[in-house]
Amino acid sequence: MSLGAAEVISKTRNASVGGDKPPLIDIRNLRVTFPSGGAEPKAVLKGIDLAVQPGEIVGLVGESGAGKTTLARSILGLPPSPGRIAGGEVHFEGRQILSLSESELRRLRGHRLSVVVPNPRAELNPLLKVGDQIAAMAKIHLGVGGKEARRMALEILREVQIPDPERRMDAYPHELSGGMAQRVVIAMALICSPAFVISDDATSGLDVTVQAQILALLAKLAADHGSAMLFISRDVGITAHFCDRIAVLFSGEIVEIAPREPLFLEPAHPYTLMLLAAFSHSPKLRDSWSVPDTGRRRERNAGCQYADRCPIAQPVCRTQRPPFAEIGPGHFVRCYFPVRHA
Amino acid sequence: MSSKLRLLVRLAVIRPRFAIGYLIVITITLLAIFAPAITPYSPTEADSVSFLQPPDATHLFGTDNVGMDIFSRSIYAPRIDLTIAILGTLLSALAGGSVGAVVGFYSSGRGIRVWLSFAVMRAADVLQAFPVFVFAIALVASLGQSIQTVVLAIAFVNAPIYLRLMRSQVLSIRSMRYVEASQVNGLSDMKTIVRHIIPNAMAPVLAQLSVNVGWGILLTSALSFVGAGVRAPTPEWGSMIAMGFQNVVTGQWWPSMFPGAMLAITVFGFSLVGASIEVLADPSKRRQLLSDAREHRRRADLPVEGA
Amino acid sequence: MRILAYLAKRLIFVIPQLLGIVLVSFLLVKSIPGDPAVLMLGPTATPSAIASLRQQLGLDQPLYVQFLIYVRNLLHGDLGTSWQTTRPVLEDLLQRFPATLELVTLSLLLAIVVGVTLGVYAARKPNGWVARLADLYGLSAGALPDFWFALVLIFIFYTVLGWAPAPLGRIDMIVIPPLPVTGALTIDALLAGDLQAFWSACAHLVLPVLTLGLLNAGPILKMTQATMEKMLESDFSRFEVLCGVPQNLVVRHALRNALPSIVTIISVLYGFLIGGAVLVEIVFSWGGAGQYAVQGVLNSDIYPVLGFVLFSAIFSLIVYIAVDLIYFLLDPRISN
Repeated sequence: MSLGAAEVISKTRNASVGGDKPPLIDIRNLRVTFPSGGAEPKAVLKGIDLAVQPGEIVGLVGESGAGKTTLARSILGLPPSPGRIAGGEVHFEGRQILSLSESELRRLRGHRLSVVVPNPRAELNPLLKVGDQIAAMAKIHLGVGGKEARRMALEILREVQIPDPERRMDAYPHELSGGMAQRVVIAMALICSPAFVISDDATSGLDVTVQAQILALLAKLAADHGSAMLFISRDVGITAHFCDRIAVLFSGEIVEIAPREPLFLEPAHPYTLMLLAAFSHSPKLRDSWSVPDTGRRRERNAGCQYADRCPIAQPVCRTQRPPFAEIGPGHFVRCYFPVRHA
Repeated sequence: MSSKLRLLVRLAVIRPRFAIGYLIVITITLLAIFAPAITPYSPTEADSVSFLQPPDATHLFGTDNVGMDIFSRSIYAPRIDLTIAILGTLLSALAGGSVGAVVGFYSSGRGIRVWLSFAVMRAADVLQAFPVFVFAIALVASLGQSIQTVVLAIAFVNAPIYLRLMRSQVLSIRSMRYVEASQVNGLSDMKTIVRHIIPNAMAPVLAQLSVNVGWGILLTSALSFVGAGVRAPTPEWGSMIAMGFQNVVTGQWWPSMFPGAMLAITVFGFSLVGASIEVLADPSKRRQLLSDAREHRRRADLPVEGA
Repeated sequence: MRILAYLAKRLIFVIPQLLGIVLVSFLLVKSIPGDPAVLMLGPTATPSAIASLRQQLGLDQPLYVQFLIYVRNLLHGDLGTSWQTTRPVLEDLLQRFPATLELVTLSLLLAIVVGVTLGVYAARKPNGWVARLADLYGLSAGALPDFWFALVLIFIFYTVLGWAPAPLGRIDMIVIPPLPVTGALTIDALLAGDLQAFWSACAHLVLPVLTLGLLNAGPILKMTQATMEKMLESDFSRFEVLCGVPQNLVVRHALRNALPSIVTIISVLYGFLIGGAVLVEIVFSWGGAGQYAVQGVLNSDIYPVLGFVLFSAIFSLIVYIAVDLIYFLLDPRISN
């Protein structure tokens, strides 16, 4: 399957975005801290606000260390150790899920809210057959019997386009290629038809051609199963192909969020520009915005997180946190001096 | 109070068992050194009138079946047990460790040295395949029963441990850059081993030493218990337990219980010290421990600062 | 097929080792002072009688010839004769080894139950109180001398409470032991349908099994805890949690992955306990193989010692090979 198909799918769904329906998942002021050697714990997520509509695909891009994985796992109530959720709410299907008991939360994970992880060969239990691992999801969450679970597992293996699925059911993870293991992980995430799927950098480490296939598959399957998706990636270019909206994460903060076209055509935050420039083929854009990381980063910053690296920062940027201002329909940016496009 | 000392106190507070370990080892050592000053009776002279006396004010731990004072004997015992165990352990570390360092150094590459290292490792396999206690007892029996042979037996059964430990340490350190650099700079093999490798491999060896002194005490007393180690009336925990063996069954528990308890506590102390060295020698564990200690101090100091 | 090739390779490595063990123990035991011929005939023997016995035993031959004779005899199943029992060592050992094996196997089972249970619970909460308890248990169990701990148990449960039978052997003296089939009294009693003998044998097993089982659970505990902690922190366990797999199932899967390491330490411990049970055998007058060997050393009776060392080496070997087979069953990555 080519990328083109995915593009078509996401375009047809663009129209439904931005309605007045209540969001499927609504993350409000989510804050996560890590204990540090000093007196104050280190803030890794500094108040994330993000809402996703049913069926919508939202991209989340940012460099490594920005807090992408922390966000993905914290939505499921499992911040990476030794992190701790320090505040905020996650509303999902009418419930504030961070206040649920561990067992209620567990029943949501993999069932209504699931996650696709990178490096799938390490994520699958090496001693269990992949068919059993997929079927276990259905058994645990849907309460179906062994036979039915196996039938469902076989069906979803077909859906993720694994060749010779009957035989693969009895394969062990070490017998699969990276791309195939990734399909197995996707099958596990989707077998219960979850309302919301988080893809956490799911294709990093795979071949470029395999990456494209997997992404297209992921987008198609999310649509088939009616799942909304948070698509996390380091590569802003990938998100252009099929995300309805894109959020840019920098140092634990969403600095800009916009529907796809405005974000790529009229990026407002200097950091977004820098990101786009880094992936851009236009030498002019690259030269004007590719500012090397000077490494000057203070531990805590009362103002804009990006101020130390920003080429257009003013004194005010370092003292006061900029507001999250709407500069276009659905286009928000956290910057005093958003870049304007003629 | 210096800050280092203060940190030490903090460490003792957050990991009390390490402090207890050092306390036990120091106490037992002091007791052994000052035994003549502390003990009310001679450790080897029997009072034939008062045998099998239960513990009371005159005989703190009671007397055994020939009338020797168990308290005095228990305090004197670590003199011989500790000496044998420490000497045996040091000997095994010295012999096993130095052979291990050389073997590790020559374990890669080619030529006769590699074959020799291979042969040494297989010999260690053979030694370790023996049932430890029967091997030790056979050693003592074949060399003649004496304190020296017990020391040798301890050294012999423990040597393969240090051989392996030192070898693996050397293998991992050897590949590091600064060792390669020093070889490029023309240091001889022997100088490289002595100057760079041995100092770096010391920490795990030290941890093992402390644990092994504990085992050495156990082995010494076990040999004496079956009559192949230190012989009565020399005060030694294992032979004291053996002397009281029959009395336990008939209800006179003290001749065996007191020396056994001291033996167990001492070995426990050395295990704790070994565990603490292991933690302090592992950089990541040490960092965790130190940060816990600072955290503890911060919390302890907070109310004071707030006032 | 792969498994046969694997085992063959294993055996190739093992045979020289076995030979090494025989050689070292032979030399060791040969250097024990005391002339077996003198010991066998007693102090009143004439020099000519001693000389003819020495010749008969091959003691007048050079050492390497004696060794070759010994190895040749071994291959014919002749392990020599004990002058203490005046019986072939093989017979003596076949009679005593099952006693040791019964004791050691049951102790090992207890150690596995204690070690694995405590280890798994400790690993589930690395900073919880079970983990602290497990740490303390591991340290103190290794510090207690088993022969003394056995005495403590005897004092409490026999002398004071009177619950346990006297520490004198494997079965009450008034009970007629069952016909030996396997050599393990509990099994033989059951085979003979003799419940009285069965319960008597069980009662005698309780204290020694408690001693060895509780004191040797430490290594299993430590290995289980460490491996389980690693497995529970591993990517696949974390992914299972992210997928909403119930914690009990996550732990069960992690345990399956930790099993190879745990089985390894159990097998090492099994081999160790055959010789390590000696002191407890002595305290309880068990009449096992270890006790037989120690009596041999202390009385310059060499062949029982050699036989015992050989028996335990071969036993360890069998255990290790069994472990290799278990690996094949446990891990699909090895088997194909």
